[in-house]
This record gives sequence, C-alpha cells and structure tokens, in this order.
Amino acid sequence: MDEEDGAINVSPLIDVVFILLIFFIVSATFVTLPGIDVSRPKVQNATSLQKNSVLFALSDKSEIFHAGKKVKLFEVSPLISQSIKGKDKPVVIQVDKWADATVLTELVSEAKKVSHSVSLATLKNR
Amino acid sequence: MKKSLINHQSEQTEINVSPLIDMVFILLIFFIVATSFVNEIGISSAYKDSNTKSDNPNPPLFFNLPGSGIVMNNGTPISLEEVAQKVRNLSKNKPPSVIIQVSKGVKAGLATQVMDQALLAGAKAVKLSVDSK
Repeated sequence: MDEEDGAINVSPLIDVVFILLIFFIVSATFVTLPGIDVSRPKVQNATSLQKNSVLFALSDKSEIFHAGKKVKLFEVSPLISQSIKGKDKPVVIQVDKWADATVLTELVSEAKKVSHSVSLATLKNR
Repeated sequence: MKKSLINHQSEQTEINVSPLIDMVFILLIFFIVATSFVNEIGISSAYKDSNTKSDNPNPPLFFNLPGSGIVMNNGTPISLEEVAQKVRNLSKNKPPSVIIQVSKGVKAGLATQVMDQALLAGAKAVKLSVDSK
C-alpha cells in the first residue's frame, strides 16, 4: 500500500513528451546548411523567405558552398535538381557582401535554369 | 490473504511503460537535434528569363556597375538613393524592369544594394547580368 502511494504518476509526463515529439516531427524539414558563415549585405526591403529551400553560399573569396562542400559552378544546377526531386523548392543563396558580383550573377542564372525562385539572403536593415 | 492475492494480480496486469518512455525520449531528442530552424530573410528578384519576348513596351532600365563602387546610369555616375529615384520616376506609369550589369571586381554587396533599391522603388523585375566589356 505504502509503495503504491509513493509511485509517481507518469502519464501526464508521457502526454507532454508525446506532444513535443509530434511537434518536432511535424516541424522537421531537414535543411542542409551550406556550412560557412557569410557576412550578409544589408538591405532595406528584405522579406521572409520560404523555409524549405535549397541553400547555397557564396564566400568572400567567391567560392560556392553547398552542404558543407565547395562546389564548382557547373555542378550547381545538377545539385539543385537532385535535391528538389521534382518538387518546387526555392533556392536561397547566402551571399557574402565581399564576393564578386559576376560570380553571383553566374550562380543566380545557373540556379534559375532549374528553379523558379532564386533569392538572396540578407540582413534586415534595422 | 484474499486481499493480498487481488493486489498481486492487479500489479501483474499493469503495463510497464518505462521502455516506451525511453524510446519516446530518444526520438524526441533526435528530432530536436535534427531540426534546424532556418529562418532566412532576403530579397527575391522575380524575373522571367528573356527567351520569351516581353510584351512590355517600356525598355528596361540599365544600371552599370563598372567596379570601384560606383553606379552608372546612362554614362553618368549616380548614388544609391538616385537608383530608387530613377526607378520611381518610371514606375509612375508602369513598373519598369531593371537590368544591372556588373563587371569583374564589383562586390556582391553593392549589386545586392542596387537590387534592393530598385525593388524598393517598385521595379517589376530585377535581373543581374555580366558586362562583357
């Protein structure tokens, strides 16, 4: 009798944990990050971009990164079509403000070949 | 004697939930770790590729970035604020499309800022292109 009284009722705990679990399963999108830090350009009319996107980064030495690896320009459009798998995912380019704009232009036009929407990630000007 | 027997039975029929909790916790921790909340903000230049000839009678507005941080329009250097002004002047009638021609050595930050100013002023589409000169 004494032991039964002392036992902790775990069913509310399980309820809460299940709710958390379901929340994280639903919200998980598994975005592969480019893997480098860029210093983003500051702009005035930045809007929130779509969350489930293919990310690329352009470093200050004008190198293209995707999923933690350095990639060549001609590899970009096959990589995008591989990762969108027929779905309509947007492409987001994290561009460093000290990168070369001609490389950015080429990267955007490469991405435009296979994706309908290409955006540049920026800082919000506050 | 009878009471203890009943007690014993009810204890036996109770399901042991601790392995379930263990498993659920492991799943929970996996999803917490694996979820990356990427919340990017930025600009998107919604331009259509030029293989379809546009029915827009307005010619696109050209901005040249010849390097060393200057913005040129019709051969005259202008400031970033004037970019927005020029686009706004045209967008009273019909929102123009803007083409930004960049040369080698131009920083992407400047190109992005020109794009931003043009979009801010109501440009319909902004396109980057490489100046082949």
